[in-house]
Amino acid sequence: MLFHLEGVTKTYGPITALDNLSVSVPTGAVGLLGPNGSGKTTMIRTLLGLIPVDKGSGAVLGLDFHTRQLDIRRMVGFAPEDECLFPGVAGVEFAAYAGELVGMRTKDAMQRAHEVLDYVGLGEARYRRVETYSTGMKQRLKLASAVVHDPQLLILDEPTNGMDPAGREEVLELARDLAHNKGMSLIFSSHLLPDVEAVCDHVVVLGAGRLLAEGKIRDLKQFHPGCFEVRLKTGPAAFARRLNDLGCTTESREGDLLLVRVPDGGSQQVIWQAAAAQREQIRFLRPQRSTLEEVFLKAVERP
Amino acid sequence: MPIFDQGYQHWSGELTGHGWRWLAITRHGVRIGMKNRLLRIALLIAWLPAVVLAFFLCVWGLLEQKSDLVQPLVPFLMSMIGPEIVNDPKAYRVEVWTLAYDYFLLTELRFSMLVILLVGPGLISRDLRFNALPLYFSRPLRRIDYFLGKLGVVVVFLGLVLVVPSVIAYVLGLLFSLDLTILRDTFSLLLACVGYGAVVSVSAGLLILALSSLSRNSRYVGLFWLAVWFVSSMVGTVLAAVNEERRMHHQYMRAVEAEQQAARAAQPPQPVQPAKVAGGPKQRAPAAQVDHRRIWADIQREQREAAKTDWRPLFSYTTNVSRVGRHWLGADASWEKLAETVPAEERDRYLMDNMGPQYPWYWSAIVLAVLVGLSVCVLNFRVKSLDRLK
Repeated sequence: MLFHLEGVTKTYGPITALDNLSVSVPTGAVGLLGPNGSGKTTMIRTLLGLIPVDKGSGAVLGLDFHTRQLDIRRMVGFAPEDECLFPGVAGVEFAAYAGELVGMRTKDAMQRAHEVLDYVGLGEARYRRVETYSTGMKQRLKLASAVVHDPQLLILDEPTNGMDPAGREEVLELARDLAHNKGMSLIFSSHLLPDVEAVCDHVVVLGAGRLLAEGKIRDLKQFHPGCFEVRLKTGPAAFARRLNDLGCTTESREGDLLLVRVPDGGSQQVIWQAAAAQREQIRFLRPQRSTLEEVFLKAVERP
Repeated sequence: MPIFDQGYQHWSGELTGHGWRWLAITRHGVRIGMKNRLLRIALLIAWLPAVVLAFFLCVWGLLEQKSDLVQPLVPFLMSMIGPEIVNDPKAYRVEVWTLAYDYFLLTELRFSMLVILLVGPGLISRDLRFNALPLYFSRPLRRIDYFLGKLGVVVVFLGLVLVVPSVIAYVLGLLFSLDLTILRDTFSLLLACVGYGAVVSVSAGLLILALSSLSRNSRYVGLFWLAVWFVSSMVGTVLAAVNEERRMHHQYMRAVEAEQQAARAAQPPQPVQPAKVAGGPKQRAPAAQVDHRRIWADIQREQREAAKTDWRPLFSYTTNVSRVGRHWLGADASWEKLAETVPAEERDRYLMDNMGPQYPWYWSAIVLAVLVGLSVCVLNFRVKSLDRLK
């Protein structure tokens, strides 16, 4: 188990940041989704033992977050959302300092800092002062500082905020590689659904401090029986009319995609037959799955 | 080629224990501080008084041995500190060493304030400004580790200014004296220097950290520190000076009045001459009999007594620190012994000029303790982990 929370409530004055939250998450790459103010950051701080909760209990990597905060933080690497880099130090010094704060010896920390900076692609810029880094480089430096002590769990809080597409893709690649190839568990907090979908296997959706949905992304994006996505060589309008005549319902989607719902008891054979009869060439046909966006919106809109 | 193809290796080294985790913050702070050219220059200049102290102690050691090397300096020393002392250097060894250290530490206190001005303002304010607190508190560090680490930076630099030169000068003085009894006579000085360094470091260190936590802008913190240093000194000095002048004036007027009354009482009654009394100048004969010298000596004595309960210098931060330090060094006792070499009628003035504030030293200790308590409260209030909404 990566972490579990049981009835955790955290309030800041009149604001309830976490509302009787109970959730258990297995090891692996976990996406933490939710709109702004949903309690994602508070949940991360709770997991790190940085804030006392009003009530509830829980554990991270099997360690009670009430009593073993320092042990948890030793096993966890955290890259905060805020830009926490102070000027006047070179990138390699910053990463080494992050290691020393965890308890690495000075020499080990410096050696390891060089390694992780190479890994995140900052090898050439390691001696540049951090204030001269671009936003993408700063994010990668934060990532390097978080993994410098080789944690079991890496927590990334909004790691792609404010980044250009190329930089964003690089950070996502790194996160994916760490989570899937290097055996590091990952909590990836973001409100960008494609980012979470690109990196994570598991997702926790929060809203107003409560758990709205949780599970494997593959399971949440369930099949819709009797629904198919179809793309043809030509435009879909005439084909849609033909399918309607056969008792199907159709809906046009972006990119000439046609969403077809066959009558109860029917199968995709109806679509093939219609195409054959109309001499249409089907380029793409697959059963419809919910997108993560649909899962998220459905969860958030749920009363 | 994806950048991660350069490979990620797992790390299997051991982490150190938690007890010395704060040292990483201190080391980093010292490294950053030493990059400041102004600070390096200030440290270099701060060592000049230590060179003078070491030279003086060596000269005194050679003087005790009646070395020919220092004979050319004897006339100069006699004019500075009196022939009686120079002719018998061993008898005044403790006093001379004590007062040499007293002057040295007083000078170094000013350099300490300057060094703190260069090192301290950014210690916490920079972390607040650049949102660096999550960097610390998301790692296995407690708030006390953070504060200790930051305080350690101040302690290191003040140690370089106050303690290290004191110890080096002491060792040099000991070596040049070739007399182990010096160790017996003056070892308490060494302890006093270390204690003094600790008091300045903890008190001033916590104060600058508290000030640093009050603003995200290091320049404002620097201005706060200058206010603590200069304004508090000015207020303390001005209040004490005004009070002293007022007291002296009252004492003088009272003494003159008493002298005149006594003179009038001693004179036989004179026949009254109305014409002269009505239009002529006042009679000044009794005033001419006032013994100003005696009055002045009485005033000096009373001033010394009054200084023992004058609380006004407590307004000055540096006076409080130096008052504690001088007490530990035993500077007042040394001045009193040296005062025995000056004429009795000049002794009070001599002591008044040299001894500085005379109120009980623990008043200053209490003021410093209160400041330390306030600083801790401010730090506790301002640096509150991450238990807040963004």
